[in-house]
Amino acid sequence: MAIFISWFVYFFLLFRFSFAVFEDQVGKFDWRQQYIGKVRFAYFDTQSQASKKLLLATEQNVVASLNSRTGDLFWRQVDKTGPEGQIDTLLFHGQDAVVIAGNGRLLRSWESNIGGLNWEMVLDTGSFQAAALIGVQDVVKYVAVLKKAAISLHYLSSGHQKWVENLPDSDTIQYQSVYSAGGTEVLVLGVVPHSHLTIIAFNIEDGEIMDQRSVDAPWLSSLQPSCAVVGPGSLVCVDAVTASLYVLSLNKEDRAAMQQITLQALGLEVAPGFQPTVLSTQPNPARPASSQWFLQLDLDHYILLQLTGGLISPLRDFKPAFLVSFATSGEKTVAAVLAPKNETSCSVSLFSADSGRRLLDTTVIVHLDPNGGMPEKLYVQAFLKKDDSVGYRVLVQTEDHTLTFLQQPGRVVWSREEALADVVTMEMVDLPLTGTQAELEGEFGKKADGLLHMVLKRLSSQLILLQAWLGHLWKLFYDARKPRSLVKNEVTIETLARDEFNLQKMMVMVTASGKLFGIDSKSGTVLWKHYLRNVQANAAFKLMVQRTTAHFPHPPQCTLLIKDKETGLTNLHVFNPIFGKKSHISPPVLARPVLQTLLLPLMDQDYSKVLLLIDSEYKVTAFPSTKNVLQQLQETASSIFFFLVDSSQGRLSGFRLRKDLSTELIWEVVIPPEVQRIVAVKGKRANEHVHSQGRVMGDRSVLYKYLNPNLLAVVTESTDTHQERSFVGVFLIDGVTGRIIHEAVQRKARGPIHLIHSENWVVYVYWNAKFRRNEFSVLELFEGMELYNSTVFSSLDRPHLPQVLQQSYIFPSSIRTMEATLTEKGITSRHLLVGLPSGAVLSLPKMFLDPRRPEVVSEQSREENLIPYAPEMPIRTEWYINYNQSVSRVRGIYTAPSGLESTCLVVAYGLDIYQTRVYPSKQFDVLKDDYDYVLISSVLFGLFFATMISKRLAQVKLLNRAWR
Amino acid sequence: MQRTAWPSWLFFLAQLALSLGFSDLEPGPGGVAAQSSGDRFKIEGRAIVHGVKLQDWISTARVLVEGEEHVGFLRTDGSFAVNDIPSGSYVVEIASPTYRFEPVRVDITSKGKMRARLVNYIKTSEVVRQPYPLQMKSTGPHSFFVKRETWGWTDFLMNPMVMMMVLPLLIIVLLPKVVNTNDPEMRREMEQSMNMLNPNHELPDVSEFMTKLFSKGSGKSGSGSKGGKSGAVKRR
Repeated sequence: MAIFISWFVYFFLLFRFSFAVFEDQVGKFDWRQQYIGKVRFAYFDTQSQASKKLLLATEQNVVASLNSRTGDLFWRQVDKTGPEGQIDTLLFHGQDAVVIAGNGRLLRSWESNIGGLNWEMVLDTGSFQAAALIGVQDVVKYVAVLKKAAISLHYLSSGHQKWVENLPDSDTIQYQSVYSAGGTEVLVLGVVPHSHLTIIAFNIEDGEIMDQRSVDAPWLSSLQPSCAVVGPGSLVCVDAVTASLYVLSLNKEDRAAMQQITLQALGLEVAPGFQPTVLSTQPNPARPASSQWFLQLDLDHYILLQLTGGLISPLRDFKPAFLVSFATSGEKTVAAVLAPKNETSCSVSLFSADSGRRLLDTTVIVHLDPNGGMPEKLYVQAFLKKDDSVGYRVLVQTEDHTLTFLQQPGRVVWSREEALADVVTMEMVDLPLTGTQAELEGEFGKKADGLLHMVLKRLSSQLILLQAWLGHLWKLFYDARKPRSLVKNEVTIETLARDEFNLQKMMVMVTASGKLFGIDSKSGTVLWKHYLRNVQANAAFKLMVQRTTAHFPHPPQCTLLIKDKETGLTNLHVFNPIFGKKSHISPPVLARPVLQTLLLPLMDQDYSKVLLLIDSEYKVTAFPSTKNVLQQLQETASSIFFFLVDSSQGRLSGFRLRKDLSTELIWEVVIPPEVQRIVAVKGKRANEHVHSQGRVMGDRSVLYKYLNPNLLAVVTESTDTHQERSFVGVFLIDGVTGRIIHEAVQRKARGPIHLIHSENWVVYVYWNAKFRRNEFSVLELFEGMELYNSTVFSSLDRPHLPQVLQQSYIFPSSIRTMEATLTEKGITSRHLLVGLPSGAVLSLPKMFLDPRRPEVVSEQSREENLIPYAPEMPIRTEWYINYNQSVSRVRGIYTAPSGLESTCLVVAYGLDIYQTRVYPSKQFDVLKDDYDYVLISSVLFGLFFATMISKRLAQVKLLNRAWR
Repeated sequence: MQRTAWPSWLFFLAQLALSLGFSDLEPGPGGVAAQSSGDRFKIEGRAIVHGVKLQDWISTARVLVEGEEHVGFLRTDGSFAVNDIPSGSYVVEIASPTYRFEPVRVDITSKGKMRARLVNYIKTSEVVRQPYPLQMKSTGPHSFFVKRETWGWTDFLMNPMVMMMVLPLLIIVLLPKVVNTNDPEMRREMEQSMNMLNPNHELPDVSEFMTKLFSKGSGKSGSGSKGGKSGAVKRR
């Protein structure tokens, strides 16, 4: 019974201390932005004029429907990452969006209105080549899927296979294209490179081969992108070597060889070194392709041509033109051409496809962001206006993954920064002080120059403050009269200022595409963006804040390290995190690959922290490298250590800096790579504070924490993946001396491993292969009941190894990422933020992960508020900090302290970005937002009047008694 | 708790023979990863949320098999099929930001035999059969929010502390008035009854009685219900 009561008490306690969101706090200080990634396929819903649907499939394996009027998501379906979820093609017809995913493995049809699946089919293995919608008698009925060795036809309504046929000689012929003009046959085009072209006609009804022929084409290496089907039944190819166009009739009866037409005869010329392409359109899959087509002869040179009766005639020449696209509305087909206008803008114009005539009043101006990229893709939605003229809207995709939707005459309807779907790393930077605050600060910074002067200065600054305050009051009064909807605090860079509690910060986000963003953490508005043009696709990034905003008038400074993964060469991008502008400071040129970086607490005379870059020859480059810095480095060189990890060799090595900025090896630990490989090495965060040195035990003694700032947690995984023999190893190594502090092995366990290392504890998650569940394990290090040297910690002078406590728990979900909360002074209790595959971010109190949780409750453990041990960790939806605002594919969680000790700022990023605040120990330092002012004031007034009245009554009573 | 445990035990006994047949599937997905060339199977089922239109929730829901190892989507009729799954044992859950579903463990033998059972992370080998094809019924919307502590007069008055303070106060204030208004006969009667109650022939001093009463009263309000109870017993 006693145990039961104690359980109840603990439960109650937990309930009280655990974090939860109140319903009225929704959207008050949190926001979410949903992204889809770089677009690969896009279709407008052309079924009706009023439809707002825009269907997209992206490189992030997402199929989504956008509202084309606002740019908001109607729905979005997120598939697996990697090649298994990769979308090969998207076809759109009527209400159905047909998707082929996983290299031709899955065929899906999405109901485009509600975002549900119509059907899903598993296709036979074989690498995907092409797919097309097939129409019969003006009705689109089937989907044809062409694979390397087979072609199959599926019903559009149910996905069932109508027939599947093997392709003849598929080991020599590369089948690349499938085409149907709406007749009774499906054409499959294949090519034997530099030899001949094969055309096979299948009967739509039963898949019987109706015709098969091959045509000599020794100049042809691939159908894509130099060939296309044009008009009722002609294949048009272009070849740069012979500088000719080739036309082949696909009709069964017509057995003529390819007709060669030199480009010269048409008065055209291919730019040297350019692979010319043919671009055609088939407005309706049940009808033949249109007989007009584009030929691209240079990066900015397109020609609109027409093929009639075997004759090719140029309609119009477009030079310069960046992009072209066909669009169809009703019976009319138009061509849109994006041409450069001047340095900062492009123009899109519409041309009639039949004649090549320019349509009047159809120019849309596209302004190019100087910090963005060039246009990459153009999608056009054409519609017929009431007066039968053609109107249109364009979707422009630029190199930096921005989608811009424009309307005539150049109004941007919406734009989406899809680069943010792939955030790699981020930092939060304090906002600068306002002018008035800076004025006050400046007063303290300057040297004294005369008493009177200082008094005057103080008076003037006080006056400025008063003026600012009055202005603020006036604004409040002015805004209060306006209806609430009109009051909209537009955030711009100019109005940015730090708030009282430093809750609003600048989020500097680095994306995989090389675009940098500055986002206001309060509203989620993108305040600046900067596209780095020459970033490799597989580059690794590291962002460091060298100077914060605390050193007015020096501007804050961030340094981004961009490392090419292949060559290992690194360059630095130095910028101002508040405005996004590139700094005028020139970073050092690094000739050799950089292995490790080190941000020292040392500062130069301009208050920027010193960044050390260690290259492959173990030489150190300092940035900034002024005389002052070099002198400081010489003085402190003997106490600067760093470590390198070579996971392929399984080697961890420690180095010490020499005075001449070379290095010497002082320790080396080799973990045999044939048995286990290093998967993660984590130190502690540099900006972390620990408030209490120890823990008070039940008997009032103190258990001191082992707070080694140089401790590294190294996690290894066995190379043997058999479930009986696999294991996960954890090493705690001192980064200065190389001493192995602790070693732990988890048998029958494997990755994926997630790790947090903070204070005196390490938490890691692994997969228990035997019981098929995820498990948390926590390691806590204690010095014992006495502290060896309480004033300063030195790795070189710590004779005793710490006591290590460990406990493991079952976690009833898999995990995507994990991070610990962080507060200003480290007084607030810690929570772990766990990103789950469902998109929820769970705030798990560290209390649950305490190796001192007792199995048997005792008086002392109760005194210490230890929760009795339970093997399974609870997941409560009340602990989801993002309630129903799930973050898809959460990849990282960033935590930053705010000016309030109770508050930690959290950003979870993945496909979506979610920003919020958490209060791990509730808001103990500010009044809660539901604080009842009415009650407290009414009680106060009530008491006041009660004392007045009772005083009066007492006086009367005394008087009466005196009279008696 | 007991009641739900009973049928599960019965199930367990009934499935014992069958589960022996399933023993070859013990290697988890880890062991299976090596033999990925083997047959692939599909997990089928249906998700149901009572009283909610399908189009309101299916576009945001996904079927997750063992985290995000395999992903499936819901059809417009609420059914689902996750394709391309090698044999092994998997936890299948429906991830919806608004509705809660209980996860189910699905075992697939190398021959493609399917079995669904309750997820039990502690006793991983326990088999409590679930229907297959899966029937995932939502247990209602997620509760994300905690109710704010509101303040009302009834909360204040029904507070045991307040009750304990108010009742003696009423007795102290009202009782003397009741006694005073009564006639002397009544008073005598009262005294007699008091004498009856106190078997001790020595009548205690009035002041002493009062201090006793007050000290008891304060003890009552301080130490909670326990003190109150013992006080009542003593008075009797």
